Amino acid sequence: MSFDPRSKLTAALVAAVVLMTLGRWPWLALALGLFLLVTLWLHLGRAWLDLLNSLGFAAVSFFVIAWLAFDLATGLEASLRLLAMATVFFLFFKTTPPEDLSNALVKLGIPYAFAFVLSASMQFVQVLTRRAANIRDAQRARGIPLEGNLKTLYHLPAVVGPLLIQAFKLADELAEAMEARGFGAPGRRFRREPHFALADWFFVGINLVVLTGFLWVRFK
Amino acid sequence: MVRPGESILVAGASGSGKSTLCRASIGLVPHFHGGELIGRVWVDGMDTREHPVHKLFGHVGLAFQNPDAQLFNQTVEAELAYGLESLGLAPKEIERRLTWVSEMARLGPLLHRSPHCLSGGEKQCVVLGAILALRPRLVLLDEPFTHLDPEGAERLRAILRAMRAEGIGCIVVEHRLHAIVDEVDRLVVLHRGHVAVDGPPRQVLAQDLSNHGLNLPPLTRFFREQGRVETPLTVDEALLCLRKSVETQEGRYPSSRRSLDWNFPDHSPKPANPPSGFRNFVIEVNRVQFSYGDLAVLSGVNLKLNRGECVALAGRNGGGKTTLVKHFNGLLKPNSGEVNVLGRDTRTTSVSELARHVGFAWQNPNDQLFQANVREEVLTGPRVLRAYDPTWCERLFERFGLGPLMDRSPFRLSEGEKKRVAFATALAAQPEVVILDEPTAGQDEPFRRELGSLIRELRAEGRTVVLVTHDLEFAAEHANRWVVLAGGQIVADGSPQEVMGDSEAMAAAGLRPTQLFQLRKALAEWSDEKRMEAHVV
Repeated sequence: MSFDPRSKLTAALVAAVVLMTLGRWPWLALALGLFLLVTLWLHLGRAWLDLLNSLGFAAVSFFVIAWLAFDLATGLEASLRLLAMATVFFLFFKTTPPEDLSNALVKLGIPYAFAFVLSASMQFVQVLTRRAANIRDAQRARGIPLEGNLKTLYHLPAVVGPLLIQAFKLADELAEAMEARGFGAPGRRFRREPHFALADWFFVGINLVVLTGFLWVRFK
Repeated sequence: MVRPGESILVAGASGSGKSTLCRASIGLVPHFHGGELIGRVWVDGMDTREHPVHKLFGHVGLAFQNPDAQLFNQTVEAELAYGLESLGLAPKEIERRLTWVSEMARLGPLLHRSPHCLSGGEKQCVVLGAILALRPRLVLLDEPFTHLDPEGAERLRAILRAMRAEGIGCIVVEHRLHAIVDEVDRLVVLHRGHVAVDGPPRQVLAQDLSNHGLNLPPLTRFFREQGRVETPLTVDEALLCLRKSVETQEGRYPSSRRSLDWNFPDHSPKPANPPSGFRNFVIEVNRVQFSYGDLAVLSGVNLKLNRGECVALAGRNGGGKTTLVKHFNGLLKPNSGEVNVLGRDTRTTSVSELARHVGFAWQNPNDQLFQANVREEVLTGPRVLRAYDPTWCERLFERFGLGPLMDRSPFRLSEGEKKRVAFATALAAQPEVVILDEPTAGQDEPFRRELGSLIRELRAEGRTVVLVTHDLEFAAEHANRWVVLAGGQIVADGSPQEVMGDSEAMAAAGLRPTQLFQLRKALAEWSDEKRMEAHVV
C-alpha cells in the first residue's frame, strides 16, 4: 500500500517535530532504530548507507563539538538527532517520486511553478555534479593543480567560474525548453492525480494523535 | 512556406540564422527572446506574434541542440507525458498517446528510466518523442545529429521516416548534410539571415554553394571533383550514374581498365616522418583495464601511438573512447596494466607534469573558460606549468586569429571562436600530443577546413594528433590511422581503408563506412563482375 504524498509529508513533519523535542539520547537512539527498521523493510538499506557515507562526517563533527563544548550525552543527542532527522526525510524522498510530490503540493494550493521547480531542481543536482567533474578534468588537463591540497583553494575559480556560467546557461535553456512544452499553459491536468484515500485519513489521524500525545506528555 | 507532411533540411554557416528561424517558428521569438521581429510567421493558421507559446506548442514542436537541457522530468514516461498534461488532456488520452509515441519512437524499454542516465542517441529520441506525443503538424529539429553515433543517427532517421508516414512535417537544421539529405523534400540554404537557395535537394546541390559555408555531402564533392554534372544523394544513385557513364562510353563490357578507375581522394594521409634522434612511440598503452565501479569500460587495451601521426578513435557512445584518452594524461589511472607517455608511467607521474606533453581540447570549450580575457585564458596553462614561451604563444594567437579578441571576455565569444581559444590553450604549452574531442561537432565547413589545415601543420611539426570522433568523413580525410573500440577492446587498428574494409569490426562498433568508401567498394565489385563477364563473352 502506498500513501498519498500529502499524508507522508504530514508524517515526516510530525516525526521532525517529535525528534526536535525529544530530550534524551536513548529515546533518540530508539527513534533512529525504528526508522532504520522501516528503511530495511523498504529494502533501502544500501541507499541509507550511501546517505551515511555523505552525512557521517557531519554527524561525527556534531558529536565531537557538542561533547567538547558540553558533555558526552549532548554529543550523542546532537549526532543521533541529525541522523534520525536525515533518515526521516530520506524515507520521505525515497518513497515519493518528485512529480507525485509536486502534483500533491499543487493540490495543497501551492502554485504549480513553485512546486515544479522544487521537484525538478532535485534532478539537476546530478547533472551539475557531472558537469563539475568535466570542468575539473578540463582544468587539470591544462595543468591547473586541483588535486586536493591547499593550492586547490587558490585555483577554485577555475572550477567555480565555468560551473556557474554553465548553471546559468542550463537554467536559461531549460526555461526555454519548458516554455516550448507548455509550462505556462493554463488548465494543466495531471496524468496521475493524487488521491487522498481512507487509509491516508487514517494514517494522518494516527500521526496527529501521536503528536498530540507526545506533546502532552512532554510538556504537561 | 512549409506544406503539411513536407520535410525540409535547413543548412548554412554558423551565424546564418538557422536557430533563430527555429525559435521564430514556435513563437519563442518574439515571446521568449528579446529583439525585433519584422514580418509575420504563421503556424497552422495562427500568427505567432498574436499567440503565446503555450497556444502554439501543440501545433509545432522544437527539439533544441542540447538534449540535457530539455529533459526535466524524473522518468522518460513523465517526460513524454509533460506536454500532454500541459495541453490539459484527460488521463486516458494521455495513456493512449504514450502508447502510440513509445511505439513510434521505440522508447518502450526506456519508459521507467531516468532521462539523464540515457545515451546521447536515446536522449535525442526521448526529446523527439515528447514533442511527437503532442501530435504537432510540424516538428523542428536543431542539429539533431551532432552528438549521435552512427547507430543513434540511424535510429533518428527511422523516426523521421515514421513521422513522414504519419503526415507530420519536419524542418531539420543540420551541418552534416549527408546524414539526412536523401530523406528530405527540400533543401533551404540560409546565408546571413536570408534564404539564399530553396528547392529540391538535387537541384540545390547542383548550384554553386561555395560562398555559403556548407559542408557538402561527400558524394556531391566527389562528383564535382570528377567534373560531373549529376548530384547523387545516395551511394546507389552514385553507382548507377558511374555505371551508366562507363557503359555509354565503352558499351556493355568495358575493356579498358582506365574507364573503371576513378580518382578517389587519398583516404590515407601518410604519417609524417619522425624527426631523427627521437624515440618514435609517444604513448604506449599496455594491457590496460579500467572500470567505473562494476562497469568494465576498458578490458585489456594495447596501443602504441607514433610521433607525427593522426589517429582517429571511433566507436559507439559509451564505448570507452573518452575513458581511454583520459588515461593519456593521467586523469584516469588504469586498474591494471600501464600507460607510458614519452617514457613516463602515468601511474606515478602527476597530471600537471603530463599536461606539458599532452594537450586536450574538449568537446565543450565552456568547460575550461574562466579568465577575464582571451589572453589570460590561453596563457593560464603555460604559466601554471612554467612552460611559457612568448614567441610560441604569439604565433598561436596569430595562427588562430585571436589578435582582435585578445581583450574580450571568452564568455562573450561565439561557439566557433571559443573552440579556437580552446585549441590555442591545448597547444599553449607546446605538447607533443594533442587530443581533440569531437572537434567538428556542430561546426560549419570553414571551421572544418581550418581544423584540417591545423592537423596537417601539427603533424608536420612532428606532433601526434588524436581525434575522438563520430565524424568518419572528417576522420577519413585527415587521420592516417583509425583505432576502433567496441566492448572495451580495440577491435580494429589500421589505415582508414583497412578498418572500413573490416566489416566485422565495423559492425561490432556500430560503425558504417564512409559513403566514398562504400562507392569505391561497390565500383570495384562491379568492375570485377564486368571484367569477368567480358572474359566469358
